[in-house]
Amino acid sequence: MADKSLKKDQVKNLLNKIAQSNQLIAPILSDGITLFKPVQSGEGVVLDYQNAVVPPKDFFFPQSEKMFSYDMSDPSWAIKPEEGVPNRVLFGARPCDVKSILLLDKVFDAEFRDDFYIDKRNKTTIVAISCNDCRHTCFCGAFGISPGKAEGADLLLTDLGDRYLVEVLTDKGETLAANCSDLFSNDDGSGAAAKEKATAPALEKQMKIDLEGVKAKLDNMFDHPMWAAESLRCIGCGTCTFVCPTCHCFDIVDFNNQSSVGYRYRCADSCQFANFTRAAGGHQPRPSKMERTRQRFMHKLRYFVDRYGDFGCVGCGRCLEKCPVNLDIAQIINKVKEVG
Amino acid sequence: MNKVTENLRKTAAKLLQDKEVDMVIGYGLGSEAVRTQPVFITSPDDVDKLVWNPFCVNGLTKYLSDMKDHPGKMAVVVKGCDSRGIYRLAQDSIIPRDKVVVIGIPCAGQLSYTKLASKIDVSGQLKDVEEKGEDVVIKTSKGDFTVKKSEVFLDKCTTCEHHNPVVADHVVGDAINTCPTPDNYDEIKKYEAMSPEEKAKFWLSQFGRCIRCYACRNTCPGCTCRECVFDAIKPDWVGKEIDVSENELFHLTRAFHLAGRCVDCGECDRVCPMDIPIRLLNKKLLKDCKELFNMETPGSTEEGGSVIGQYRLEDPEEFM
Ligand code: SF4
Ligand code: SF4
Ligand code: SF4
Ligand code: SF4
Ligand code: SF4
Repeated sequence: MADKSLKKDQVKNLLNKIAQSNQLIAPILSDGITLFKPVQSGEGVVLDYQNAVVPPKDFFFPQSEKMFSYDMSDPSWAIKPEEGVPNRVLFGARPCDVKSILLLDKVFDAEFRDDFYIDKRNKTTIVAISCNDCRHTCFCGAFGISPGKAEGADLLLTDLGDRYLVEVLTDKGETLAANCSDLFSNDDGSGAAAKEKATAPALEKQMKIDLEGVKAKLDNMFDHPMWAAESLRCIGCGTCTFVCPTCHCFDIVDFNNQSSVGYRYRCADSCQFANFTRAAGGHQPRPSKMERTRQRFMHKLRYFVDRYGDFGCVGCGRCLEKCPVNLDIAQIINKVKEVG
Repeated sequence: MNKVTENLRKTAAKLLQDKEVDMVIGYGLGSEAVRTQPVFITSPDDVDKLVWNPFCVNGLTKYLSDMKDHPGKMAVVVKGCDSRGIYRLAQDSIIPRDKVVVIGIPCAGQLSYTKLASKIDVSGQLKDVEEKGEDVVIKTSKGDFTVKKSEVFLDKCTTCEHHNPVVADHVVGDAINTCPTPDNYDEIKKYEAMSPEEKAKFWLSQFGRCIRCYACRNTCPGCTCRECVFDAIKPDWVGKEIDVSENELFHLTRAFHLAGRCVDCGECDRVCPMDIPIRLLNKKLLKDCKELFNMETPGSTEEGGSVIGQYRLEDPEEFM
């Protein structure tokens, strides 16, 4: 489908229209920070934000999610599965966050098929928005992601000042655009050039990190003393992993309040927590901060490549901005290149 | 290089050379201009990694607890507020006072990374910092920036009780003579005046967004339990599930565990990635302890002791 154009003053109408027949998830300002939330209408949606504090990952892989419930007083002891999600539109996701969902697909929708994830993924249409500006911690370019492209999105909007350029990228996107066609006009052909200009500042501002040779070097760095040195300042919190759009480790827990009813849920877990790898009997394969710090960076920059052919980081910059002790993945990448 | 940094390096080098300590925990340059990172110096040859500037926000005393089994003596750099953590750890028998050499630096106030990043380009490397009256000039590889200090101080520094460390074996830098601005708890009074419904609405919305990363706990010099109640699996006192009720239980439990023990270093508040105003809870407890039990800020003196851990006949009991 040819590129479309959406007048700025029509965005709210578009959001309202989407919200009529879908669950709409969009970035809003909540007590001073930008977060993705389900919203009833276009009211309060912010599209000129620079990266939400936590990524929209939560809507595909929630930090906590019920898997099933049961009632043992029911003679059949039937397991009650959870209901799936309604049709949803994730609106205003940034290119890095969209790419992270493609990476999560490799984990949850490949060799092992995770029904919880796949249900949400199938029922969600993703409307991405290009970055005209970015945070000083962004470095998506290192991973081949660009502020003006959003592989994995169904529609891509770019802010061109008085209007949005709307690119239709998939069939799902086409359906959504067709349903809202009264709000769009056809792009007059100037969109593509205008987009390049609009997104240039973000491209210019972001950190330039070169990953050349990093993976090959890491292949031989399992026992490098660098990990111990860097890990000393880590306080073993879950900040870096819980704000990361690609981290996907979880724990499964049964909840039963000593009654006949209960449920099983899963919730995000962090490889930075000491009890993450503690096994029954007390065995602990990652006994110190060194192993845990190494694991995080190795997983993103080496193991993920080995397993899925792509880096497990999208350069969103969240972990380095939020880490309380400035354990900065971009700095680590540069150090890996420097050390002998 | 500023005088304090120079003297700090000399002090550290001497401590390491004389084998009085085998590690010095301090601040080093960070990956961005207005950040520092904790560094762990074990050789006199490495003391040049130590710096002192207005970006030394981290509290470093908690590392002493992490390394309590470290065989040798350790030196740690503290500001006024962090120095109270030294007495906290000693009073809680986490680490004996004589295992630690305290390098105290009088501190006029630290600048917030978040506030600075919203005003200037912080992405360069730091070249120099100069204080010019009300302003600070931050010289970086991406340019020089002049910022009004009062606009970028950490909130806690505007009501700092101890600019000069309460305990130090070595003081580096000149004592700060500005009279501490007493905290009159105006902000807390605003929350106290809310109706229970308003309070619930405010706090449940704050707790609701907690991601349970435990950065607040992990950075806290008062949170030193061998097994934290939130990590316990059997029984799981607080469920791992992230929802507003479990989160509330987490926050209120943690607040009670710190009641009369929190040294008001503000670290939990600084590290929270979700900007949850944890400090309001601690301040409320501090205010109550001060008003009801005439307690000084915990960690201010060597003796101290916790309000919850002692009993006096004259303790108020109007709530009983
Ligand atoms: S690297 Fe930083 S954010 Fe991650 S666990 Fe360590 S201290 Fe926390
Ligand atoms: S590792 Fe850090 S920069 Fe990379 S995707 Fe995760 S949060 Fe973003
Ligand atoms: S509270 Fe006081 S001692 Fe602590 S950082 Fe602020 S000014 Fe320095
Ligand atoms: S630091 Fe903030 S988000 Fe993390 S557990 Fe503490 S209150 Fe929750
Ligand atoms: S509760 Fe917060 S302010 Fe109090 S001692 Fe712990 S980290 Fe510091």
